[in-house]
Amino acid sequence: MSKTMSKSHNVSEAESCIHGAANRSSRRSERRRADVEDPFGRALEYFSQVKAGTPVKGNDALENNLVLVERVALGRGLPPGAVATLLDFALSLRLGSSVCSRVLKFLIPASAVPQDSVVRGVSWFCMGKMPVSAQILFLRWILTMFDLIDSKDQLRSIYGFIFSFVTDEVLSPYVCHLLYLLTTKEHVQPFRVRKLLEVQAKMGRQPPLTQLLALYKVLCPEMIAISMPSKTRGGFKNHNLPWKTALAAVLKKNKTAEAPSPPLSLDIKEKASTRKRKLHHLEVPQLSCGPEIESSRGKAVHLQQLRSFAQLLQNLDNIELPAQMGSLLSSSLALHYLDCVHDESALLRLNFWLGSVLHEEFLFCSRDGNPENSTEPSQFLDICLSLPQECFSSSEFFLFKFLAMWDGSLHQPQILSLLSDIPPLPVSRMKMFLFEPLQQLYFTSSVFFKCGVIECLRSMLWKWLTWHFVQTSHKELDVSLSSSRTMNLHMSEFLELVTELVQYVGRLASAGLQLENYHILLHHQTLNFYELVCDVYLKFNLPLFLLPPSGVIFPSLLATDPVTVDRLGYVIFRYRQNLMSAKEHKQQKKEPSFHISRDVFREFNLLMVAVVSCLWISKDCQVDVGTDVHKALVPLRTMLSYCKNYNLIHHPAFLNYAIEFHQKCWPEQTNVDLSSIQGKKYWYWYLEFLFSQGFDGLKDFIQNNMDHQSTPVGGH
Amino acid sequence: MESPVTRLPTRRRTKSYGRSCFEASSRFAYTSGQLTILRIPTTREAPRARNIAERVDPEQVTLLIKNEWKLSYVTPLYRFRHTHLKKYSKHLSAFIAAEKQQGTAVEVGLETGYRVTFSTVLGIAETDEDAETVFIQIQSKPMFAATGDALKVVWSGWLTCVNGSPEYLHSLLPDFVSLPLFCSSGPENITVVVKSWFEKMFDCRFGSLGLDSTSLQWLCALWTGCHPDNNIRYLRLLWTLPTQPPLDVSYTVNPQDAWELWNSVRQEDSVDGTVGIDEVKHFMAGLESHFFRHFKIYLSSGTLRKVSTALGSAQQDGKVKILCSDYLATVLTLLTECAILKMPI
Repeated sequence: MSKTMSKSHNVSEAESCIHGAANRSSRRSERRRADVEDPFGRALEYFSQVKAGTPVKGNDALENNLVLVERVALGRGLPPGAVATLLDFALSLRLGSSVCSRVLKFLIPASAVPQDSVVRGVSWFCMGKMPVSAQILFLRWILTMFDLIDSKDQLRSIYGFIFSFVTDEVLSPYVCHLLYLLTTKEHVQPFRVRKLLEVQAKMGRQPPLTQLLALYKVLCPEMIAISMPSKTRGGFKNHNLPWKTALAAVLKKNKTAEAPSPPLSLDIKEKASTRKRKLHHLEVPQLSCGPEIESSRGKAVHLQQLRSFAQLLQNLDNIELPAQMGSLLSSSLALHYLDCVHDESALLRLNFWLGSVLHEEFLFCSRDGNPENSTEPSQFLDICLSLPQECFSSSEFFLFKFLAMWDGSLHQPQILSLLSDIPPLPVSRMKMFLFEPLQQLYFTSSVFFKCGVIECLRSMLWKWLTWHFVQTSHKELDVSLSSSRTMNLHMSEFLELVTELVQYVGRLASAGLQLENYHILLHHQTLNFYELVCDVYLKFNLPLFLLPPSGVIFPSLLATDPVTVDRLGYVIFRYRQNLMSAKEHKQQKKEPSFHISRDVFREFNLLMVAVVSCLWISKDCQVDVGTDVHKALVPLRTMLSYCKNYNLIHHPAFLNYAIEFHQKCWPEQTNVDLSSIQGKKYWYWYLEFLFSQGFDGLKDFIQNNMDHQSTPVGGH
Repeated sequence: MESPVTRLPTRRRTKSYGRSCFEASSRFAYTSGQLTILRIPTTREAPRARNIAERVDPEQVTLLIKNEWKLSYVTPLYRFRHTHLKKYSKHLSAFIAAEKQQGTAVEVGLETGYRVTFSTVLGIAETDEDAETVFIQIQSKPMFAATGDALKVVWSGWLTCVNGSPEYLHSLLPDFVSLPLFCSSGPENITVVVKSWFEKMFDCRFGSLGLDSTSLQWLCALWTGCHPDNNIRYLRLLWTLPTQPPLDVSYTVNPQDAWELWNSVRQEDSVDGTVGIDEVKHFMAGLESHFFRHFKIYLSSGTLRKVSTALGSAQQDGKVKILCSDYLATVLTLLTECAILKMPI
């Protein structure tokens, strides 16, 4: 044994000589320069040169130097060179073990610990001359300073020497911890596994040993099986007690320019599960890698080994995905990684996992009547929502099945957001699985649910349009990559689908408004939807012009709240802009494929006339609003006959403003006669007044549609 | 517009718009052909008695028909290889040992208290797409056994796929092996450990597989149809009626009467060797109306819980016993179908 030890000493020393030669020469010159004026330099010189056997007791020079170095060490930490010198001095036991432990206790590095000094220390350690207490102290020192050691490759190469101490009962916990920090996949060998199992059999289940074995299992699952009881987490104790406060103080003092690298969010959040659920559907598995029964690439790196983002970037090409894809759910970074590797099997695995969890939890699992604590399921749905991969087909299938049995209130926000992630599918499918069941829920639920549904469909449409836009505007990129599995939706089908969706929302909204007595929230949600629809051509390059149905337009036009009317004005204004620009485009390009039906223009013009005749023209209501509109909406005829009462002055939504304006114009008049505003001059002042109140939609609408010189018909 | 035809979901490597997996998901939206709702079959082949011993090792057949099996469904196994069964045996036995003594590491390949054997049951698969059935047996060594003592079988289970929907199987990527039906027999705690081992090894998920009344009715009709070739001896049905307290009705039918009833509903189109769901429903309606004539109880208002004949029995909670190997394929086809219907995608 001792022979190997001394050999190891020589080997590592030789190694460190080579590696450290350059460093040392520069250090030496530094030291010489410092010699002249620096007592600290002189003290170090003393320690590097002191002969073995020098008496300790009564040695003032030693004592003085020790005190000096200790003060510096505790004050601002020791520079790397000094750490190397002192470590070598202490561990060589030239002045005995008491000095050794005294030095180790104040050996606080300022920034980094040179690796070769640690390797050299280990070689002293292997000599077998150190008393056990010093050995333990040294191991604890390494464990504490481990993160400060500048690199670890040489330490890893003497793994075997360190490993040989694992059988030592006293040193074993520390050695296990050190090995745990050093172990890489190549270190896990059958003979080591067997040795550790022997130790386990001899000494029982020691937490550090178990942790090391667990790491071995993570790295090489094909060699070892272990299952950790959930209670015994944690494993290693902190050994930093003698150095803790001093080290913290020094590091704090020296932490000036260096910003720490951002922590990697790979770690699984240890959730404190308050109550053990009877069912474990929602448990996200632990990040672990699969047993490599098939020989995979040699240099594969496991996700759970990565400590920093930089490491992730370095190993981007040979990262091995975990055995259970579900475990990725605990780490957003891993999910993004998955996003960029384009691994079909990996996605399919995750897809299966996710789908099965959702199915088991929400569809197959009977609650037996007792309402379960619903926070966990809703948390899980939140996780699903936060996935960068927006909609997995499994969650889509789940939703289609779930809609049939949903009461509309269970996890409502999450389910509605998940619904909005559904990608474009053929119209027939969409109708059968989404529109039909959603419609039933819509009509039987509260106004707030109705608003939720409209918002959900708006967001769905928005996602489709965005995606379509990206798709068509970068078509030249690489359409060729689409695989045979791709579900192709042709342009015509996509247009059909969007049309169907918009018409569907139109039906929902007009009926819903009527049912809910023109609830203001629903009004706004609906107009929100149409604000998206009206700009489809200009914003998303989709030649689709779908006007809101009368059941939406007229209630908005006659709403008692000015903001609704204002928003309607904006919507109509945007429709006009889109149509104008489409017309221009058509005239310029003369593309045969670009066709806008005349009906669209006719319909829009009718709409314009109706709105203008209402807000603007006050007296003469005999406007030809188009027979079909009249027929469709018989009440409109009667309504329009009162349209005098709905111009911008008498409109219930603006009456307030009209009165305020009147008071400002004629402050002395107690008798309010609103028709006096209809005078040409006052009319424009009144409009300016309205615009100044923030009705920008109305402003856009009026300024773009009205001849500026015209006054309301029938004006004075 | 640049072109009237645009292929929508395409895959893009050059640029990411934060929605790349939106495309990816669309790629997988149709991996499994269709939504499972759309896959429920309305006709199936009439059972034909076949001497399975010609194709399958009779010893293995006896293993399959001996027990009552608890059914589960399994999502496709990732990187499962029929050629690695030996390694799997070692792994699973180490895994079980490690689970038994929480926190103690166990070397893979050493003798533990359990011996696990994985084996392939060749010949059960009906089509080329079906993966071969895998049988797992766990034996334990008694604590103080003499050297010559035989090992005791404590648990057995198998994974199978018979006549699995070809569209579904085709849609899977080559890395996946679909063995959707998992049958187990033995202590629940071992079942849990085995399932969790599979989940860790092959990234799959298990779920319990119950049989709805339609499936039970199918079995009832199919078994009755076998009567001329293979005496079913009795047809026993168990209903539970939603009364307070629940009323269990056990209804045993003379095999000949049952077959005659079945024959009468099948007279319309029976020759082409298929059975339609309408015929099954008629058959059940006949049985129920007969019961009503005598007891004035509508069985259709309750749920069918159990069907049993001399050929086998099946329960609503997913317990199945196959007593006659001649109709193994018919029953397993039906059960495979039920399992595939449970798949999330």
